Amino acid sequence: MLAALIRKELLALLRDPHGLAALFVMPAAFIVIMSLALQDTYRPATRQLAYAVASADSGEPAQTLLARWRATHGEPVALPADPREALTSGRLGYVLSVTPDFSASVSQLTLPPGVKARLETDPGLAHALFRSLEAELAAAVGELRADAVQERFTGLVTPGANAIARLVGAERASAGARPTAVQQNVPAWLVFGMFFVVTAIASLFVQETRDGTLARLLTLGVPRRVQVLAKALPYLGVNAIQAALMLTVGVWLMPLLGGDRLQLAGIHWPALLLVLAATSGAAIGFALLVACLVRTHAQAAALGASCNLLMAAIGGIMVPVFVMPPAMQAAATWSPMNWALDGFLQVLLRDGDLTAVLPAVARLGAFALVMWLAALLLFRHRTRQA
Amino acid sequence: MLRIEELAHRYAGAAQPALDGVSLTLARGRVLGLLGPNGAGKTTLIAHLAGLLPVRSGRILLDGEPLAAARARAPARITLAPQEYAFYPMLSVRENLSCFAAASRLAGPRREARIAASLAFTQLERFAATRAEHLSGGLKRRLNLAIALLPEPELILLDEPTVGVDPQSRAFLLDAVRALAGAGCGVLYTSHYIEEIEAIADDVAILDHGRILRHAPLAALLAAGPARLALRIAPGHDGLDALLARWGTAQAGRDGEIVLDLRADATPAAVLQALAASGIAPHEIRYGQQDLEQLFMQLTHRSLRDD
Repeated sequence: MLAALIRKELLALLRDPHGLAALFVMPAAFIVIMSLALQDTYRPATRQLAYAVASADSGEPAQTLLARWRATHGEPVALPADPREALTSGRLGYVLSVTPDFSASVSQLTLPPGVKARLETDPGLAHALFRSLEAELAAAVGELRADAVQERFTGLVTPGANAIARLVGAERASAGARPTAVQQNVPAWLVFGMFFVVTAIASLFVQETRDGTLARLLTLGVPRRVQVLAKALPYLGVNAIQAALMLTVGVWLMPLLGGDRLQLAGIHWPALLLVLAATSGAAIGFALLVACLVRTHAQAAALGASCNLLMAAIGGIMVPVFVMPPAMQAAATWSPMNWALDGFLQVLLRDGDLTAVLPAVARLGAFALVMWLAALLLFRHRTRQA
Repeated sequence: MLRIEELAHRYAGAAQPALDGVSLTLARGRVLGLLGPNGAGKTTLIAHLAGLLPVRSGRILLDGEPLAAARARAPARITLAPQEYAFYPMLSVRENLSCFAAASRLAGPRREARIAASLAFTQLERFAATRAEHLSGGLKRRLNLAIALLPEPELILLDEPTVGVDPQSRAFLLDAVRALAGAGCGVLYTSHYIEEIEAIADDVAILDHGRILRHAPLAALLAAGPARLALRIAPGHDGLDALLARWGTAQAGRDGEIVLDLRADATPAAVLQALAASGIAPHEIRYGQQDLEQLFMQLTHRSLRDD
C-alpha cells in the first residue's frame, strides 16, 4: 500500500514541470547567479583592474616602485587626457601618481611633508579593494624607503624585491578548500532548495483535501501515518537528488561558466551525508506541518514561501552571517536553515568530521522530530473533524 | 444489512444538530434513495457511514456489529463515491485504479482482476491509458464509480453521482446502479434529481433538519397519498373553487395547473361530469397518485435553503 502511494506521489511530481523547476532549476540557478555575482567578494580582483600611471620622476626608487607594481598588477594603460573622467565613468580602475620628488624624498631620514605616491580610484570601487590597493602601495613604498635608508647609512643593498611580502603570510585556517563564492553558495542554496519542498507538499495536501481523495483514502482504511509517510518519503529522494545536482553544478558547471570549482577532495563524506539527512528530515518535517496548517492553495504558496524566505534571510542563506551585525548574527542561530548551512560549511570549509557536525545535526534532528510529531497530530485532528 | 439507530451529531459551535435521531435500514440488493434539501444532514450521514466521523450518539450496525469494529476488520465493506472527482487528475485511469486498489489492500492477481472488472463495468477500457484530467465529465463520473467498486463492497455510498453529465452518461450510470443492486450490493444514493430516485430507488428516505421525515419503499410512499387530479382550465369560471371543494382539496400547481387531492369517496369521472354540467371544459387532464417531487416539496416546504 505504501509503495503504491509513494509511486502516485512520484508520478504526480514528475508530471508537474513547474514543481520540478521550483525544486531543481531554481536552486541551481541561484547557485550559478549568486556565485558569479559574489565571486569577487571572496577573491578580490585587484590584479584585473585597469590602471594608469602618472609619474614625472625618473629616479631609481620611483622606477623600481612602478616596475614592482607592474609585476603584480600587469601593464598599465595609457594615461587618458582626462583621468578623472575616465575614473568616474568606470573605464579606469585607478590612477597611480608619483610626484617628481618621490625618489629624492623616499631616502630622507626626515620625510618631507606631503603625499608622494597617491592612488585615485573609480568612485564605485569596492571598499575592500580600495583598502587592499592602499595597503599594497603603502607596503611597497615602505619597503623602498627601508632599502634606501639602509643603503644610505650602511652601504648594504638588499638583494631582490618584495622581501616584505615574503616575510608576511596570511591564510585561512583550513587544510582543505579555500572559501570561494561557490564554496559558500552551493551549500547555502542547496539548503534553501531542500526546504522549498514545502510548497510542493503543502499544495498536494490541499489538493487531496479539496478533491475528496483524502476522504476516499481514509474511507478505504489507509492509516493516517501511512498517508503522511507516503507524502514524506518521496521527498527524501527529491532532497537527495537536489543535493547531487547542486554539488554537480558546483563541481562541473561553475568552472565552465568561469567561476570557481567546488572542492570536494578530502572532505569527510559520512559527515556530509549526515548533515544532508538531518537537513532533509527537518525540511520535510517543516513542510508537513505547514501542509497540515493551510487550507487553500493560496495559503500553501504564501505561508510556505514566506517562511522559507524569512528563514533564509535570517539564517545567512541570502546574506552571509559574517557580514551581519552582532544582533543579526545572534538571530541567525534561531533559523534551522542556519543550522543546516553551518553543518555544510563545517564539512566543506573546515574539514569537519562527524564530531564537528554533531551540534548542527542534533539541532536539526530535534527540530525534525518536533515538526513530524506536530504534523502527525495535526493531521489526525483535522481528518477526524472531516 | 446496515442498520442506523437514533444517530445524532452536532458540530462544535453549531446551534442545531446536523443529525437528530436518524434511524434507517439498508439491505443488500436494494437501492435506498436519500433525499433532502441543502443542509438537511445528508453529507453528515454519509460521513458517518464512510467512517469519516465517529459515532458519538446512536448506533450504526453492519450485520449486527458496530460499524467501527466492522470497519477495523474490513474497511472496504462500505465504499464511497463522493460528489467531487475524488481521484488524481495527473494519473491515467489505470494508474488511478491501481493506486486505489492498493489502498484497498488488493494485491497480486486479485488486484489485476478487480481493476479489469471495474474498467469493464464502467466501460472505461478504451480510456485506461488516458490521464484523468483529460476525461469528459461523464467519463470522470464513471471513473469515480469504478474506484468505489474496486474492493467489491457490500454497500456503496453514491453522493450525487450524476452531477454535470449528459443524458446518455446519466442513463448509463443509472443502469449501472441498478445492475449493482441486482448483483447484491446495497446502494445508498443521494441526488437532487428526484426523477432519478424515482427511477432507481427501491426505498426512499427524506431527510430534513437532521430528521427522517419519511422512510419507506418507494411504491408505498407514493401510494400513501391521496388520488390526485390535475386540471388545466382556462381562467374566468366563477364558482370553480366551490365546485372543486365538493370533491377534495384544490391547490395551485405548476404553470397555472389546478391540483385536486380527491377525497376517498370521490372519483375523477364524477368531478369531470360536474365540471361538464357547469359548462367547464378542461383542456388538459392528468390523474394518478402524487409523485415523489410533490411529496418532497410538501414535506420539506418550498422555502429556499441557503445553508
